[in-house]
Amino acid sequence: MNEIILKLDNVTKVYPNGTVANRDINMEFEKGEIHSVVGENGAGKSTLMKMIFGIERPSSGTITYKGEEVHFNSSMDAIHAGIGMVHQHFMLIPSYSIVDNIILGDEPTKSIFIDAKEATKRCQELSDKYNFELDVTAKVSTLSVAKRQKVEILKTLYRNAELIILDEPTSVLTPQETEKLFDQLRFFKQQGHTIIFISHKLEEVKQISDRISVIRNGVSKGTYLNADLSMEQLTNLIIGRDLENDMDEYKTHEDFHGERALEVRDLYMERNGKPVLNNVSFEVKRGEILGVAGVEGNGQQELVKCITGLEATKYEGLIKVCDQEVNHLNIRGRRDIGMAYIPEDRMVDGVAGELPISDNLISTYYTREDINGKLFMDNKAIARMSDQLIKTFAVKTKNADASVNSLSGGNVQKVVVAREYNTNSRFMIAEQPTHGIDIGSAEFVHHKLIEMRNAGAGILLVSADLNEVMDLSDRIIVMFNGRIAGYFPDANKVNESELGMYMLGAKHQSEEEIGGALND
Amino acid sequence: MTDNKFSKLSKNYKLSISNPKFFDAVKMLISILIALAITFVILCLVSSDPINAIVTILTGPLTKTRYIGSVIESFIPYAFAGLAAGVLFKAGAFNLGAEGIYILSGAVVTAVAISPVTTSPILHPILCFVAAMAFGGIMMILPSFLKAKFGTNEMVVSLMLNSIYAGIAAYVVRTFLGTLKRGGNSSKDYLATARIGYLYEPLRISACFLVLIAVTVILYLVMKKSRLGYQIRLAGTNPRFAEYSGVSAFKLAISTAAIAGVLSGMGAASALLTQTQFYTPSQSLVGIGFSGMLLSMLGRNNPIGIVVASFMIKYLEQGTKILYFVDKSVPSEIVAIVEGIIIMLISSQYFLRRFRERKLLKEGLEEHVE
Repeated sequence: MNEIILKLDNVTKVYPNGTVANRDINMEFEKGEIHSVVGENGAGKSTLMKMIFGIERPSSGTITYKGEEVHFNSSMDAIHAGIGMVHQHFMLIPSYSIVDNIILGDEPTKSIFIDAKEATKRCQELSDKYNFELDVTAKVSTLSVAKRQKVEILKTLYRNAELIILDEPTSVLTPQETEKLFDQLRFFKQQGHTIIFISHKLEEVKQISDRISVIRNGVSKGTYLNADLSMEQLTNLIIGRDLENDMDEYKTHEDFHGERALEVRDLYMERNGKPVLNNVSFEVKRGEILGVAGVEGNGQQELVKCITGLEATKYEGLIKVCDQEVNHLNIRGRRDIGMAYIPEDRMVDGVAGELPISDNLISTYYTREDINGKLFMDNKAIARMSDQLIKTFAVKTKNADASVNSLSGGNVQKVVVAREYNTNSRFMIAEQPTHGIDIGSAEFVHHKLIEMRNAGAGILLVSADLNEVMDLSDRIIVMFNGRIAGYFPDANKVNESELGMYMLGAKHQSEEEIGGALND
Repeated sequence: MTDNKFSKLSKNYKLSISNPKFFDAVKMLISILIALAITFVILCLVSSDPINAIVTILTGPLTKTRYIGSVIESFIPYAFAGLAAGVLFKAGAFNLGAEGIYILSGAVVTAVAISPVTTSPILHPILCFVAAMAFGGIMMILPSFLKAKFGTNEMVVSLMLNSIYAGIAAYVVRTFLGTLKRGGNSSKDYLATARIGYLYEPLRISACFLVLIAVTVILYLVMKKSRLGYQIRLAGTNPRFAEYSGVSAFKLAISTAAIAGVLSGMGAASALLTQTQFYTPSQSLVGIGFSGMLLSMLGRNNPIGIVVASFMIKYLEQGTKILYFVDKSVPSEIVAIVEGIIIMLISSQYFLRRFRERKLLKEGLEEHVE
């Protein structure tokens, strides 16, 4: 058995809102291994990592690092001890160069000044040593997502991290980029680094790990050798039951006479003089799911902004929701016509965390007659409806009065989906509907989306998760550089690597082929 | 049916630390006790008879009806200021303009109160109120409007407007409403018809008291049950979420500011028409608007909580004033210490958190065992 670099003994964490995130976790990490920690999002992986990295402190239990019991007061302590963490959301300053980002907080100095030459030299050497292929003097704002991630990893290496925690590192990468990242991780391993790999994507976990630890409901379900574990066993350990995979079985095909839920024509939008959306035309019919695939930052967010009208954005072109032009309408007006919207960032846009679940379940239709009396809102009707929705959507909570903050990520998302579902809208935008939530909840959300589709809603699914797009969609468009790069009229007839080529801009269809997105 | 109802009730209002509302109540109670304990320690240092001193502060106002009557009369304008701040805070607005609105509406009240607009002793005060409310409501909107329209910082704008409004009030009173008596900075005496008399003289209960109670109840219902209250909750906890849900941030900012302004106008009118004969802008209403913010914090932005907090603070102030008569070594400012400690403790995220975590840990584990 190898040297144990990190050991957790009976680690327990309770949050002030009453959530017990981790309970009596025991786990060992060996030096020089790639060790995956998997589990549903509410399971408590993130909290566990935060405790290892010193962002949170355990309520009880001990963490032993390199044979010594440690009590990190902040992530600075963890960094000094040799632990590095690459967060899911990058912690970089876009207007700084790579060097400046890397050395920030630990600058090499010459008397009172920063030794820029020395800094650049050290960073470039480090980048070359690990085959990162980066020009370290480039500004971060000019880099692709994959390169930014490399900068994040370099940051930890610069601080001599021996143990590197990667939180959902592949969620923003294309299949090809993921491959490259994995090669690098294997190289780190050879160099003696220990990698803790957090991911929801089980194929990847199986592909990269030496050992796998499973957390369910805040409790450790054991550590296993990767080789000893089949995919089914792993899934079982994580969610405690088997997963059904094929979403097509759930789809029914009723005729909605080709009615349109959404029509987008010649959409054009500029930012800082550069077009971020260009010549985008497509439609979503009732009773279908149109998937929008693409690497993050290729115009998908802007597209969603234009369609929802959430922020007053300037664009050219025509947008019709349920055959009504909505260009002049704000989000309220568009919702009234029949639009529902599952936003990308549920905590920022999708809920008010401190308010009770019941308040969050009605926000987009709080003026509706069935929950309002003559003078006041009908709190009894709201309570009844909330209880019903909580039941239908299997939201794990004590009651509807509990605050949304007391829920896990997956359950928060269920609240958002339940609310939008309950608007009975004919058009729905689902933006990263399962981003960062556990498999069980994700499956549930997927079923509900298909249910809405079957009932006649047209759904625009915007997601960076390729599997999600391919599993759910009837038709697919791929965005690259603000344009539609590819259109696939039958989602079942396209594979991951082909979509990947379009996502990376290696392939581009002709105008004619893309035109099918609007006129099929 | 009744059984069922009862069990549901007891489930929702479980007296346990894990219930945030109960925890808040416990926290408030402990904060008050700690504040009083610290006050007692200070009294021990400055007073020769600390036990008598603390007893006087706590029970003094109850010893004479005159004392308690003074509390009842003086807390009303403060309660209105607290309610105004509460509405704004609840909506997530940091409009600190109540102070200026008080002083400016004071001038409006005075203008109506010194003019023989009517001979009816009922209509005249009502007219004073209406003028102050309308004026306060409109003037309060300015910082919120600028913020919603142009993205200015409402805190800075409202603080600057406080000075500007105070200046305008002083100018108007001196130039148009003034008299040469009292150094030229005060208004003429109010007409007898404008003054609000007592409904129950010994306790100094006036119509203003009834108005305050009615306004509090209405505000409580609006906050708790109306669509406006719901919008305010949404925007106050997560403005982006409110926007996403289709609540117009602009309309909401304007309407909450208007409500706060109307409440401030009521506060100014109720103070001037009961407690004074004339208006001195540099003295009469100074500080009430700012105190309102503290009171709102003490009452946790809840209308009923705010009124109770206002009464409590004024009660303690009265207690210290009485103490000052008998024991000159204790300055009446000591009440500020009590106030400060309570606010510090209840607004602290950390106070009693460990205690609660431990309790929750225990409960959580028990639940797990089940």
